[in-house]
Amino acid sequence: MIDDYTRLLEATAELEDKAAADAAVTKLILHLKSAGRMKMLPEIARELKKVAARRHALRPFVEVAHRKEEAAALRAASEAGIIARHAVVNYSLIHGWRARSAGKLVDHSAKRALLQIYQKVTL
Amino acid sequence: MQSIIERIEKEIAAWAPEVGAEETGIVRATSDGIAEIDGLSAAAMSEMVFFDPTFDRTLVEALKDPNPIYGLVLNLEEDGVRAVILGDSTKIHEGMLVRRLGRPLSIPVGESLVGRVVNALGEPVDGKGPTGAKEVRPIEREAYGVIDRASVNVPLHTGVKAVDAMIPIGRGQRELIIGDRGTGKTSIAIDTIINQKSEPAATRPVCIYVAIGQKESKTAKLAAELDARGAMEYTIIVSAPASAPAALQFLAPFAGATIGEYFMEQGKDALVVYDDLSKQAVAYRQMSLLLRRPPGREAYPGDIFYLHSRLLERAAKLSEERGGGSLTALPIIETQEGDVSAYIPTNVISITDGQIYLEANLFNKGQRPAINVGISVSRVGSAAQTKAMKKVAGKIKLELAQFRELEAFMQFSSDLDVETKKRIDAGRRMTEILNQGRGAPLPFEMEASVIFAATNGYLDSVAPEEVSAVEIKLREYLAREAGGVLTAIRESKEIREESEKALREKLDAFIARTASVA
Repeated sequence: MIDDYTRLLEATAELEDKAAADAAVTKLILHLKSAGRMKMLPEIARELKKVAARRHALRPFVEVAHRKEEAAALRAASEAGIIARHAVVNYSLIHGWRARSAGKLVDHSAKRALLQIYQKVTL
Repeated sequence: MQSIIERIEKEIAAWAPEVGAEETGIVRATSDGIAEIDGLSAAAMSEMVFFDPTFDRTLVEALKDPNPIYGLVLNLEEDGVRAVILGDSTKIHEGMLVRRLGRPLSIPVGESLVGRVVNALGEPVDGKGPTGAKEVRPIEREAYGVIDRASVNVPLHTGVKAVDAMIPIGRGQRELIIGDRGTGKTSIAIDTIINQKSEPAATRPVCIYVAIGQKESKTAKLAAELDARGAMEYTIIVSAPASAPAALQFLAPFAGATIGEYFMEQGKDALVVYDDLSKQAVAYRQMSLLLRRPPGREAYPGDIFYLHSRLLERAAKLSEERGGGSLTALPIIETQEGDVSAYIPTNVISITDGQIYLEANLFNKGQRPAINVGISVSRVGSAAQTKAMKKVAGKIKLELAQFRELEAFMQFSSDLDVETKKRIDAGRRMTEILNQGRGAPLPFEMEASVIFAATNGYLDSVAPEEVSAVEIKLREYLAREAGGVLTAIRESKEIREESEKALREKLDAFIARTASVA
């Protein structure tokens, strides 16, 4: 039952309409009170936090080795189906970029290439 | 140095960025060897994944420990997957990247594994370097169907008189060895492996000993013993010690079966010993509970029967069209206080083609092996027995059962008639003849000759308590004086008229000599 409530609230959150979300929470609290199930509320909040964390982990995310590569990286990521507004600089990539979203990864970084070469040479 | 530089330069020149996306997941949580992973929505059941320790580190840090840690997907859920970690779970952390391998869990197999000790993933653990096995096979596969199989009719000699005479095992059979701890279960299995040394190289089965949840010291001792007896030449040890993650203990028997199947499909014979499946069941229970699968009887998951049935069904004798190879399985089950009606023992008893039941009481009385003849059985029966053994051992089981009845009666009556006393003495003599110490398997022709002597009255004049000593002398005598007869029995696999005549002459001479010495 907690899963059902969580899914309903999750769907509401997707609307990105704050008023609608507030209304949904108010209705849920009224419903839980009338059903005598207020004890479920903390559990529902916990589940929602988990969902939010999962969404955060799987959100579109683009990293570049240098700021100057940002525009090209965002364009290439978008062509690969990963649409992000900004890219984050990650010097450990050495060169190139990588992007991930919803369990999909595109890695065009020099770090990956060097690691692959290292593994080929040492194995 | 120059060659390394050249190779690196060649790799750099040939390198091109990989185009396209790959499916990955992120570790949401990890505990007790289980990782909860977000993403990997297309991952398949039993698929291998690897946790990439290099993804969120700098290149310098990544190169210090670039080896991935493998995992096995065992739960497919709405928002992600749960995977068991097949390595050091302390290296797995929240937010770690997980990549798919796109193939089910597989291990390397091949001839080069023979003589080696490997773990459940087929990686060498004996410090002798890489195994060199090139072919890779999935550890889970469907067993051969009816059409591909032939009936089990070729014996697999254990070298243990009591087993070969009364509970014969055939190549391709599944014979359970069951009993309390310390009753000699492993000894029978190890003697069977050692005894294969006496088989001609062409028909000698490759032996695979799977140690599950055992002390590493015990496995090391066993490997040393097999090595000292020359049995490692045709043996592979798969070790998943007590210190290994539960997932590896659960996988080890499947790895053993996969290696055995490789040899079977080459048209060879293979023997796999699972020591023991009780510990595998416990490891699987632990994993299932951690994966939050609903517990059933004794907290085992609902598919515990299928776990063992799908493993043991892989033992087979293949048809001639399939090459005629075989995989014999000797699973071992440890009982508690002799309770064979517990959950796991009854499951495995119902799956296998018979069981050798070892009893603590008999063991404590000094009977070796401590086989309870009454409830031990081989469902393949005499189809997997040589003519020689059939001829000499036909009535032993019945006679021993009658002796057990009389033995019980003997405790209540001191005045026994001559006939009953004679039968009891005969039973005691037969029990003594079947007594056999650990690590002393006998070639089949010697077993047949000794049992022939016992069942044909040659030892009737020997007091039951002296039978063991006389038997040792008899074996020495036969090896020394009756080499021709033994060779004839070994080659023809039967006791023909002329062999029987010659054997009787030798036995008469031995008895006469023994009597004169006495």
